[in-house]
Amino acid sequence: MNEHDPMSRLPLDCTAVDELAGAITLGALEPDESRAVNEHLATCTQPHEELRTLLGANAALAASTEPVTPSAGLRDRLMATIASTPQEVAPAAPAHSTAEAPPPPPRQAAPSAQLSLPWWRSLFDPRSAGFARGFAVVAVAGVIVLAAVNLSLRGSLDDRQATLDRVASALSGGSVAYHVKGAGGSGFVIQRTSGPVLVAAVRPAPAGHIYEMWLLDAAGKPVSAGTFTTNGEIVAVPLEGQLAGHAIFAVTLEAHRVNAPTTTPIIAGPIGT
Amino acid sequence: MQSTGRSHEADAALAARIRSGDREALGELYDRYAAVSLGVALRVVRDRDAAEDVVHDAFVAVWQKITRFDAEQGQLRSWLLTIVRNRAIDRVRGARVAEDIDVLDELGALRSTANPTWEAAVANLSLARLRDALGSLPGEQREAVELAYFGGHTYREVAALTGVPAGTAAGRLRLALAKLRQLLTGTDAGPASAPPSVEPTAGAGPP
Repeated sequence: MNEHDPMSRLPLDCTAVDELAGAITLGALEPDESRAVNEHLATCTQPHEELRTLLGANAALAASTEPVTPSAGLRDRLMATIASTPQEVAPAAPAHSTAEAPPPPPRQAAPSAQLSLPWWRSLFDPRSAGFARGFAVVAVAGVIVLAAVNLSLRGSLDDRQATLDRVASALSGGSVAYHVKGAGGSGFVIQRTSGPVLVAAVRPAPAGHIYEMWLLDAAGKPVSAGTFTTNGEIVAVPLEGQLAGHAIFAVTLEAHRVNAPTTTPIIAGPIGT
Repeated sequence: MQSTGRSHEADAALAARIRSGDREALGELYDRYAAVSLGVALRVVRDRDAAEDVVHDAFVAVWQKITRFDAEQGQLRSWLLTIVRNRAIDRVRGARVAEDIDVLDELGALRSTANPTWEAAVANLSLARLRDALGSLPGEQREAVELAYFGGHTYREVAALTGVPAGTAAGRLRLALAKLRQLLTGTDAGPASAPPSVEPTAGAGPP
Protein backbone atom coordinates (compact mmCIF):
# COMPACT_ATOMS: atom_id res chain seq x y z
CA MET A 1 0.00 0.00 0.00
CA ASN A 2 1.32 3.42 -0.82
CA GLU A 3 1.22 6.44 1.43
CA HIS A 4 -1.96 7.68 -0.23
CA ASP A 5 -3.81 4.48 0.54
CA PRO A 6 -6.40 5.10 3.27
CA MET A 7 -5.91 1.55 4.54
CA SER A 8 -2.18 1.92 4.93
CA ARG A 9 -2.62 2.95 8.56
CA LEU A 10 -3.88 -0.06 10.44
CA PRO A 11 -5.69 -0.18 12.71
CA LEU A 12 -7.73 2.54 11.08
CA ASP A 13 -7.75 5.95 12.65
CA CYS A 14 -10.49 8.51 12.35
CA THR A 15 -8.80 10.28 9.46
CA ALA A 16 -8.65 7.10 7.41
CA VAL A 17 -12.31 6.39 8.10
CA ASP A 18 -13.21 9.90 7.01
CA GLU A 19 -11.18 9.46 3.83
CA LEU A 20 -13.23 6.34 3.12
CA ALA A 21 -16.57 8.01 3.87
CA GLY A 22 -17.75 7.81 0.27
CA ALA A 23 -16.72 4.20 -0.17
CA ILE A 24 -18.28 3.30 3.18
CA THR A 25 -21.54 4.94 2.17
CA LEU A 26 -21.69 3.07 -1.11
CA GLY A 27 -20.61 -0.26 0.34
CA ALA A 28 -17.52 -0.08 -1.84
CA LEU A 29 -15.04 -1.59 0.61
CA GLU A 30 -13.15 -4.83 0.42
CA PRO A 31 -14.32 -7.34 3.06
CA ASP A 32 -11.26 -6.90 5.27
CA GLU A 33 -11.61 -3.15 5.02
CA SER A 34 -15.24 -3.36 5.96
CA ARG A 35 -14.26 -5.32 9.06
CA ALA A 36 -11.60 -2.77 9.93
CA VAL A 37 -14.07 0.09 9.61
CA ASN A 38 -16.58 -1.82 11.70
CA GLU A 39 -14.02 -2.36 14.39
CA HIS A 40 -13.16 1.30 14.41
CA LEU A 41 -16.77 2.49 14.53
CA ALA A 42 -17.67 0.01 17.23
CA THR A 43 -15.40 1.72 19.70
CA CYS A 44 -14.78 5.19 18.29
CA THR A 45 -15.97 8.08 20.40
CA GLN A 46 -15.80 10.62 17.59
CA PRO A 47 -19.02 11.62 15.82
CA HIS A 48 -17.74 11.15 12.24
CA GLU A 49 -20.15 13.81 11.14
CA GLU A 50 -19.13 13.75 7.50
CA LEU A 51 -19.77 10.04 7.23
CA ARG A 52 -23.13 10.40 8.87
CA THR A 53 -24.16 13.17 6.53
CA LEU A 54 -23.17 11.19 3.43
CA LEU A 55 -25.07 8.11 4.53
CA GLY A 56 -28.37 8.13 2.77
CA ALA A 57 -26.87 9.00 -0.59
CA ASN A 58 -27.80 5.53 -1.80
CA ALA A 59 -31.45 6.51 -1.65
CA ALA A 60 -30.81 9.44 -3.97
CA LEU A 61 -28.78 7.33 -6.38
CA ALA A 62 -31.52 4.72 -6.53
CA ALA A 63 -34.10 7.42 -7.08
CA SER A 64 -32.09 8.83 -9.98
CA THR A 65 -32.87 5.81 -12.13
CA GLU A 66 -35.75 5.82 -14.57
CA PRO A 67 -38.68 3.70 -13.32
CA VAL A 68 -39.50 0.75 -15.56
CA THR A 69 -42.92 -0.87 -15.60
CA PRO A 70 -42.64 -4.59 -14.84
CA SER A 71 -44.21 -7.18 -17.07
CA ALA A 72 -47.80 -8.07 -16.29
CA GLY A 73 -47.01 -11.48 -14.87
CA LEU A 74 -44.41 -10.45 -12.31
CA ARG A 75 -46.91 -9.43 -9.66
CA ASP A 76 -48.80 -12.70 -9.95
CA ARG A 77 -45.55 -14.66 -9.76
CA LEU A 78 -44.54 -12.76 -6.64
CA MET A 79 -47.87 -13.28 -4.93
CA ALA A 80 -47.76 -16.99 -5.74
CA THR A 81 -44.29 -17.24 -4.25
CA ILE A 82 -45.10 -15.53 -0.98
CA ALA A 83 -48.24 -17.66 -0.60
CA SER A 84 -45.91 -20.56 0.07
CA THR A 85 -43.08 -18.66 1.73
CA PRO A 86 -43.01 -18.46 5.52
CA GLN A 87 -41.95 -15.28 7.24
CA GLU A 88 -39.14 -15.18 9.75
CA VAL A 89 -40.24 -15.42 13.32
CA ALA A 90 -40.88 -12.06 14.90
CA PRO A 91 -38.17 -10.73 17.17
CA ALA A 92 -38.22 -11.74 20.79
CA ALA A 93 -39.15 -9.14 23.35
CA PRO A 94 -36.35 -6.82 24.34
CA ALA A 95 -33.89 -8.57 26.55
CA HIS A 96 -34.69 -6.48 29.60
CA SER A 97 -38.31 -7.51 29.56
CA THR A 98 -37.69 -11.23 29.37
CA ALA A 99 -38.18 -13.44 32.38
CA GLU A 100 -34.79 -12.71 33.71
CA ALA A 101 -33.45 -13.92 36.99
CA PRO A 102 -32.80 -11.24 39.55
CA PRO A 103 -29.34 -9.77 39.14
CA PRO A 104 -26.77 -11.16 41.49
CA PRO A 105 -25.29 -8.94 44.12
CA PRO A 106 -22.24 -7.02 42.99
CA ARG A 107 -19.25 -9.22 43.33
CA GLN A 108 -16.67 -7.44 45.38
CA ALA A 109 -13.25 -8.54 46.42
CA ALA A 110 -13.08 -12.17 47.39
CA PRO A 111 -13.52 -12.97 51.05
CA SER A 112 -10.28 -13.40 52.91
CA ALA A 113 -10.77 -17.15 53.12
CA GLN A 114 -10.57 -17.30 49.34
CA LEU A 115 -7.75 -14.92 48.82
CA SER A 116 -5.46 -17.78 48.04
CA LEU A 117 -7.52 -18.44 44.94
CA PRO A 118 -7.93 -16.07 42.03
CA TRP A 119 -11.45 -14.69 41.85
CA TRP A 120 -12.20 -16.54 38.67
CA ARG A 121 -11.65 -19.86 40.37
CA SER A 122 -14.56 -19.11 42.64
CA LEU A 123 -16.82 -18.90 39.62
CA PHE A 124 -16.44 -22.64 39.37
CA ASP A 125 -16.69 -23.25 43.08
CA PRO A 126 -19.91 -25.18 43.82
CA ARG A 127 -20.48 -22.91 46.76
CA SER A 128 -20.80 -19.98 44.41
CA ALA A 129 -22.55 -21.76 41.59
CA GLY A 130 -25.51 -19.53 42.10
CA PHE A 131 -23.39 -16.69 40.83
CA ALA A 132 -23.33 -18.17 37.40
CA ARG A 133 -26.91 -19.36 37.49
CA GLY A 134 -27.99 -15.89 38.41
CA PHE A 135 -27.41 -14.70 34.90
CA ALA A 136 -30.08 -15.17 32.33
CA VAL A 137 -29.18 -16.39 28.91
CA VAL A 138 -31.43 -14.57 26.54
CA ALA A 139 -31.90 -14.68 22.84
CA VAL A 140 -32.37 -11.31 21.27
CA ALA A 141 -33.47 -10.90 17.72
CA GLY A 142 -32.06 -8.45 15.27
CA VAL A 143 -33.54 -5.23 14.22
CA ILE A 144 -31.49 -2.34 12.99
CA VAL A 145 -31.91 0.63 15.24
CA LEU A 146 -30.62 4.16 15.22
CA ALA A 147 -29.68 3.76 18.84
CA ALA A 148 -26.88 1.46 17.85
CA VAL A 149 -25.40 4.10 15.66
CA ASN A 150 -25.92 7.00 17.97
CA LEU A 151 -24.40 5.31 20.94
CA SER A 152 -21.47 3.79 19.22
CA LEU A 153 -20.77 7.23 17.84
CA ARG A 154 -21.06 8.91 21.17
CA GLY A 155 -24.75 9.52 21.26
CA SER A 156 -26.70 9.70 24.44
CA LEU A 157 -30.11 8.56 25.59
CA ASP A 158 -31.66 8.62 28.99
CA ASP A 159 -32.73 5.05 29.27
CA ARG A 160 -29.41 3.31 29.14
CA GLN A 161 -30.68 -0.16 29.87
CA ALA A 162 -33.38 -0.02 27.24
CA THR A 163 -30.86 1.39 24.83
CA LEU A 164 -28.34 -1.27 25.70
CA ASP A 165 -30.97 -3.89 24.96
CA ARG A 166 -31.69 -2.29 21.62
CA VAL A 167 -28.03 -2.06 20.69
CA ALA A 168 -27.53 -5.71 21.61
CA SER A 169 -30.63 -6.60 19.66
CA ALA A 170 -29.40 -4.68 16.65
CA LEU A 171 -26.06 -6.39 16.65
CA SER A 172 -27.22 -9.88 17.46
CA GLY A 173 -29.14 -10.57 14.28
CA GLY A 174 -31.10 -13.20 16.13
CA SER A 175 -28.02 -14.84 17.62
CA VAL A 176 -27.81 -15.85 21.22
CA ALA A 177 -26.66 -13.12 23.56
CA TYR A 178 -25.26 -13.85 27.01
CA HIS A 179 -26.11 -11.38 29.69
CA VAL A 180 -23.17 -10.30 31.82
CA LYS A 181 -23.48 -8.11 34.88
CA GLY A 182 -21.60 -6.85 37.86
CA ALA A 183 -20.88 -3.90 40.07
CA GLY A 184 -19.46 -1.97 37.15
CA GLY A 185 -22.40 -2.23 34.78
CA SER A 186 -24.00 -4.74 32.46
CA GLY A 187 -23.87 -5.93 28.92
CA PHE A 188 -24.22 -8.75 26.46
CA VAL A 189 -21.74 -11.05 24.81
CA ILE A 190 -23.16 -11.73 21.39
CA GLN A 191 -22.12 -14.68 19.29
CA ARG A 192 -22.17 -13.17 15.82
CA THR A 193 -21.19 -14.92 12.64
CA SER A 194 -18.22 -12.60 12.31
CA GLY A 195 -17.12 -13.36 15.86
CA PRO A 196 -18.15 -12.58 19.41
CA VAL A 197 -18.82 -8.98 20.42
CA LEU A 198 -19.28 -7.39 23.82
CA VAL A 199 -21.93 -4.68 23.98
CA ALA A 200 -21.85 -3.08 27.39
CA ALA A 201 -22.62 -0.05 29.47
CA VAL A 202 -19.97 0.16 32.14
CA ARG A 203 -18.70 2.93 34.33
CA PRO A 204 -15.89 5.05 32.93
CA ALA A 205 -12.44 3.64 33.41
CA PRO A 206 -10.27 5.72 35.74
CA ALA A 207 -7.51 7.69 34.10
CA GLY A 208 -4.57 5.54 33.17
CA HIS A 209 -6.58 2.32 33.24
CA ILE A 210 -8.15 0.05 30.69
CA TYR A 211 -10.75 -2.66 30.74
CA GLU A 212 -9.54 -6.10 29.81
CA MET A 213 -11.87 -8.86 28.64
CA TRP A 214 -11.38 -12.48 29.62
CA LEU A 215 -12.58 -15.85 28.44
CA LEU A 216 -12.29 -18.65 30.97
CA ASP A 217 -12.50 -22.32 30.19
CA ALA A 218 -14.18 -24.93 32.36
CA ALA A 219 -10.98 -25.38 34.33
CA GLY A 220 -10.92 -21.71 35.15
CA LYS A 221 -7.97 -20.83 32.97
CA PRO A 222 -8.30 -17.23 31.75
CA VAL A 223 -7.34 -16.02 28.30
CA SER A 224 -7.29 -12.36 27.43
CA ALA A 225 -9.93 -11.41 24.84
CA GLY A 226 -8.78 -7.85 24.28
CA THR A 227 -9.02 -4.47 25.91
CA PHE A 228 -11.13 -1.36 25.63
CA THR A 229 -11.74 1.96 27.26
CA THR A 230 -14.90 3.95 27.69
CA ASN A 231 -15.98 7.29 29.01
CA GLY A 232 -19.26 5.80 30.09
CA GLU A 233 -20.94 5.49 26.73
CA ILE A 234 -22.24 2.16 25.50
CA VAL A 235 -19.50 0.31 23.66
CA ALA A 236 -19.45 -2.56 21.20
CA VAL A 237 -16.11 -4.36 21.24
CA PRO A 238 -15.14 -7.37 19.11
CA LEU A 239 -13.54 -10.10 21.22
CA GLU A 240 -10.25 -11.65 20.32
CA GLY A 241 -10.82 -15.39 20.17
CA GLN A 242 -13.97 -17.47 20.11
CA LEU A 243 -16.51 -18.37 22.77
CA ALA A 244 -16.32 -22.08 21.96
CA GLY A 245 -14.43 -23.93 24.65
CA HIS A 246 -15.00 -21.23 27.24
CA ALA A 247 -17.50 -21.07 30.06
CA ILE A 248 -17.18 -17.63 31.58
CA PHE A 249 -16.73 -14.12 30.26
CA ALA A 250 -15.44 -11.36 32.49
CA VAL A 251 -14.10 -7.81 32.35
CA THR A 252 -11.53 -6.47 34.78
CA LEU A 253 -9.97 -3.07 35.31
CA GLU A 254 -6.25 -3.10 34.66
CA ALA A 255 -3.45 -0.55 34.49
CA HIS A 256 -2.31 -2.16 31.25
CA ARG A 257 -2.88 -5.37 29.33
CA VAL A 258 -1.90 -8.34 31.44
CA ASN A 259 -1.78 -12.10 31.04
CA ALA A 260 -4.09 -12.87 33.94
CA PRO A 261 -6.66 -10.79 35.82
CA THR A 262 -5.30 -8.76 38.72
CA THR A 263 -8.62 -7.39 39.98
CA THR A 264 -12.11 -8.67 40.57
CA PRO A 265 -14.40 -8.39 37.54
CA ILE A 266 -16.63 -5.40 37.07
CA ILE A 267 -18.96 -7.58 35.01
CA ALA A 268 -18.98 -11.32 34.42
CA GLY A 269 -21.27 -14.16 33.46
CA PRO A 270 -21.54 -17.58 31.89
CA ILE A 271 -21.30 -17.87 28.14
CA GLY A 272 -22.52 -21.44 27.82
CA THR A 273 -25.88 -23.04 28.30
CA MET B 1 -44.12 13.03 -5.14
CA GLN B 2 -45.48 12.44 -1.68
CA SER B 3 -44.17 14.42 1.20
CA THR B 4 -41.58 12.61 3.28
CA GLY B 5 -43.88 12.41 6.29
CA ARG B 6 -46.89 11.02 4.43
CA SER B 7 -44.79 8.55 2.51
CA HIS B 8 -43.04 7.40 5.66
CA GLU B 9 -46.30 6.93 7.53
CA ALA B 10 -47.87 5.02 4.68
CA ASP B 11 -44.84 2.79 4.37
CA ALA B 12 -44.76 2.20 8.10
CA ALA B 13 -48.39 1.11 7.99
CA LEU B 14 -47.63 -1.21 5.10
CA ALA B 15 -44.67 -2.67 6.96
CA ALA B 16 -46.87 -3.36 9.98
CA ARG B 17 -49.42 -5.16 7.83
CA ILE B 18 -46.74 -7.19 6.09
CA ARG B 19 -45.28 -8.11 9.46
CA SER B 20 -48.68 -9.41 10.49
CA GLY B 21 -48.70 -11.73 7.48
CA ASP B 22 -50.96 -9.63 5.24
CA ARG B 23 -50.06 -10.69 1.70
CA GLU B 24 -52.15 -7.97 0.11
CA ALA B 25 -49.99 -5.43 1.90
CA LEU B 26 -46.97 -6.81 0.12
CA GLY B 27 -48.94 -6.50 -3.10
CA GLU B 28 -49.57 -2.86 -2.31
CA LEU B 29 -45.89 -2.35 -1.62
CA TYR B 30 -45.16 -3.92 -4.97
CA ASP B 31 -47.63 -1.64 -6.69
CA ARG B 32 -45.96 1.34 -5.09
CA TYR B 33 -42.32 0.50 -5.70
CA ALA B 34 -42.01 -2.20 -8.35
CA ALA B 35 -41.25 0.28 -11.12
CA VAL B 36 -38.49 2.10 -9.28
CA SER B 37 -37.13 -1.25 -8.11
CA LEU B 38 -37.02 -2.56 -11.65
CA GLY B 39 -35.33 0.64 -12.76
CA VAL B 40 -32.54 0.11 -10.27
CA ALA B 41 -32.21 -3.59 -11.04
CA LEU B 42 -32.17 -3.02 -14.78
CA ARG B 43 -29.54 -0.32 -14.42
CA VAL B 44 -27.28 -2.86 -12.72
CA VAL B 45 -27.93 -6.13 -14.53
CA ARG B 46 -28.86 -4.66 -17.95
CA ASP B 47 -31.10 -7.58 -18.78
CA ARG B 48 -34.87 -7.36 -18.49
CA ASP B 49 -35.57 -10.94 -17.41
CA ALA B 50 -32.72 -10.98 -14.92
CA ALA B 51 -33.84 -7.63 -13.53
CA GLU B 52 -37.37 -8.92 -12.99
CA ASP B 53 -35.98 -11.94 -11.18
CA VAL B 54 -34.04 -9.59 -8.93
CA VAL B 55 -37.14 -7.57 -8.17
CA HIS B 56 -39.13 -10.71 -7.47
CA ASP B 57 -36.48 -12.03 -5.10
CA ALA B 58 -36.14 -8.67 -3.36
CA PHE B 59 -39.86 -8.47 -2.59
CA VAL B 60 -39.79 -12.06 -1.37
CA ALA B 61 -36.92 -11.07 0.93
CA VAL B 62 -38.98 -8.17 2.25
CA TRP B 63 -41.81 -10.60 2.96
CA GLN B 64 -39.53 -13.06 4.72
CA LYS B 65 -37.42 -10.60 6.69
CA ILE B 66 -39.81 -7.80 7.48
CA THR B 67 -39.17 -8.30 11.19
CA ARG B 68 -35.70 -6.90 10.61
CA PHE B 69 -37.12 -3.61 9.42
CA ASP B 70 -37.72 -0.93 12.01
CA ALA B 71 -40.08 1.72 10.67
CA GLU B 72 -39.03 4.16 13.35
CA GLN B 73 -35.47 4.12 12.13
CA GLY B 74 -35.64 4.04 8.38
CA GLN B 75 -37.69 4.19 5.24
CA LEU B 76 -39.18 1.00 3.89
CA ARG B 77 -38.51 2.31 0.41
CA SER B 78 -34.81 2.76 1.12
CA TRP B 79 -34.61 -0.66 2.72
CA LEU B 80 -36.28 -2.28 -0.28
CA LEU B 81 -34.05 -0.50 -2.78
CA THR B 82 -30.97 -1.50 -0.82
CA ILE B 83 -32.03 -5.11 -1.15
CA VAL B 84 -32.76 -4.68 -4.85
CA ARG B 85 -29.42 -3.06 -5.56
CA ASN B 86 -27.43 -5.60 -3.56
CA ARG B 87 -29.14 -8.58 -5.14
CA ALA B 88 -28.70 -7.09 -8.58
CA ILE B 89 -25.00 -6.73 -7.94
CA ASP B 90 -24.87 -10.30 -6.70
CA ARG B 91 -26.47 -11.33 -9.94
CA VAL B 92 -23.89 -9.71 -12.18
CA ARG B 93 -20.85 -10.20 -10.04
CA GLY B 94 -21.58 -13.64 -8.73
CA ALA B 95 -20.28 -13.01 -5.26
CA ARG B 96 -21.22 -11.09 -2.21
CA VAL B 97 -19.91 -7.62 -2.70
CA ALA B 98 -22.33 -5.30 -1.00
CA GLU B 99 -23.54 -5.93 2.50
CA ASP B 100 -27.03 -7.34 2.61
CA ILE B 101 -29.69 -6.97 5.23
CA ASP B 102 -28.49 -10.20 6.79
CA VAL B 103 -25.34 -8.43 7.89
CA LEU B 104 -26.16 -6.51 11.02
CA ASP B 105 -23.03 -4.67 11.98
CA GLU B 106 -22.02 -1.11 12.49
CA LEU B 107 -21.93 -0.36 8.79
CA GLY B 108 -25.17 -2.14 8.09
CA ALA B 109 -26.86 -0.20 10.83
CA LEU B 110 -25.34 3.04 9.65
CA ARG B 111 -26.46 2.58 6.08
CA SER B 112 -29.94 1.53 7.13
CA THR B 113 -30.76 4.33 9.49
CA ALA B 114 -32.97 7.16 8.45
CA ASN B 115 -31.27 10.21 7.04
CA PRO B 116 -33.98 12.87 6.83
CA THR B 117 -31.91 15.20 4.69
CA TRP B 118 -31.39 12.72 1.89
CA GLU B 119 -34.87 11.27 2.21
CA ALA B 120 -36.45 14.70 1.96
CA ALA B 121 -34.42 15.35 -1.16
CA VAL B 122 -35.55 12.09 -2.69
CA ALA B 123 -39.19 12.70 -1.77
CA ASN B 124 -39.37 16.29 -2.88
CA LEU B 125 -37.18 16.47 -5.97
CA SER B 126 -38.15 15.29 -9.40
CA LEU B 127 -36.35 12.54 -11.23
CA ALA B 128 -35.02 15.12 -13.64
CA ARG B 129 -33.59 17.17 -10.80
CA LEU B 130 -31.90 14.14 -9.29
CA ARG B 131 -30.43 13.16 -12.63
CA ASP B 132 -29.30 16.72 -13.28
CA ALA B 133 -27.51 16.77 -9.96
CA LEU B 134 -25.75 13.51 -10.69
CA GLY B 135 -24.94 14.70 -14.16
CA SER B 136 -23.41 17.91 -12.91
CA LEU B 137 -20.72 16.10 -10.99
CA PRO B 138 -17.24 16.24 -12.51
CA GLY B 139 -16.89 13.38 -14.96
CA GLU B 140 -14.35 11.42 -12.99
CA GLN B 141 -16.44 11.66 -9.82
CA ARG B 142 -19.64 10.61 -11.56
CA GLU B 143 -17.80 7.70 -13.15
CA ALA B 144 -16.49 6.59 -9.78
CA VAL B 145 -19.95 6.71 -8.21
CA GLU B 146 -21.55 4.82 -11.06
CA LEU B 147 -18.88 2.13 -10.97
CA ALA B 148 -19.26 1.76 -7.22
CA TYR B 149 -23.01 2.03 -6.80
CA PHE B 150 -24.40 0.62 -10.02
CA GLY B 151 -21.42 -1.55 -10.87
CA GLY B 152 -20.87 -2.91 -7.38
CA HIS B 153 -17.15 -2.25 -7.57
CA THR B 154 -15.05 -1.52 -4.53
CA TYR B 155 -13.09 1.70 -4.52
CA ARG B 156 -9.94 -0.33 -5.17
CA GLU B 157 -11.56 -1.82 -8.23
CA VAL B 158 -12.70 1.64 -9.25
CA ALA B 159 -9.09 2.76 -8.91
CA ALA B 160 -7.88 -0.09 -11.10
CA LEU B 161 -10.59 0.46 -13.69
CA THR B 162 -9.90 4.16 -13.94
CA GLY B 163 -6.13 4.01 -13.59
CA VAL B 164 -5.74 6.06 -10.44
CA PRO B 165 -4.38 5.28 -6.96
CA ALA B 166 -6.79 3.80 -4.44
CA GLY B 167 -6.72 6.94 -2.35
CA THR B 168 -7.73 9.01 -5.33
CA ALA B 169 -10.68 6.73 -6.06
CA ALA B 170 -11.78 6.90 -2.42
CA GLY B 171 -11.43 10.66 -2.55
CA ARG B 172 -13.53 10.92 -5.69
CA LEU B 173 -16.34 8.95 -4.08
CA ARG B 174 -16.18 11.11 -0.99
CA LEU B 175 -16.17 14.37 -2.89
CA ALA B 176 -18.88 13.20 -5.27
CA LEU B 177 -21.31 12.37 -2.50
CA ALA B 178 -20.53 15.56 -0.64
CA LYS B 179 -21.18 17.59 -3.75
CA LEU B 180 -24.32 15.63 -4.56
CA ARG B 181 -25.61 16.35 -1.10
CA GLN B 182 -24.83 20.01 -1.51
CA LEU B 183 -26.60 20.11 -4.86
CA LEU B 184 -29.69 18.34 -3.60
CA THR B 185 -30.04 19.85 -0.19
CA GLY B 186 -28.05 23.03 -0.24
CA THR B 187 -26.02 21.94 2.74
CA ASP B 188 -22.44 20.87 3.16
CA ALA B 189 -21.59 17.35 4.15
CA GLY B 190 -19.90 18.15 7.40
CA PRO B 191 -16.97 19.79 9.03
CA ALA B 192 -14.42 17.71 7.19
CA SER B 193 -15.81 18.43 3.75
CA ALA B 194 -13.84 21.41 2.73
CA PRO B 195 -14.82 22.67 -0.69
CA PRO B 196 -13.45 20.09 -3.11
CA SER B 197 -11.84 22.52 -5.42
CA VAL B 198 -8.80 20.38 -6.05
CA GLU B 199 -8.93 16.87 -7.41
CA PRO B 200 -6.99 14.57 -5.09
CA THR B 201 -3.92 13.07 -6.62
CA ALA B 202 -1.54 10.37 -5.66
CA GLY B 203 0.76 11.41 -2.88
CA ALA B 204 -1.20 14.53 -2.21
CA GLY B 205 -2.31 13.50 1.22
CA PRO B 206 -5.84 13.10 2.38
CA PRO B 207 -8.36 14.43 -0.12
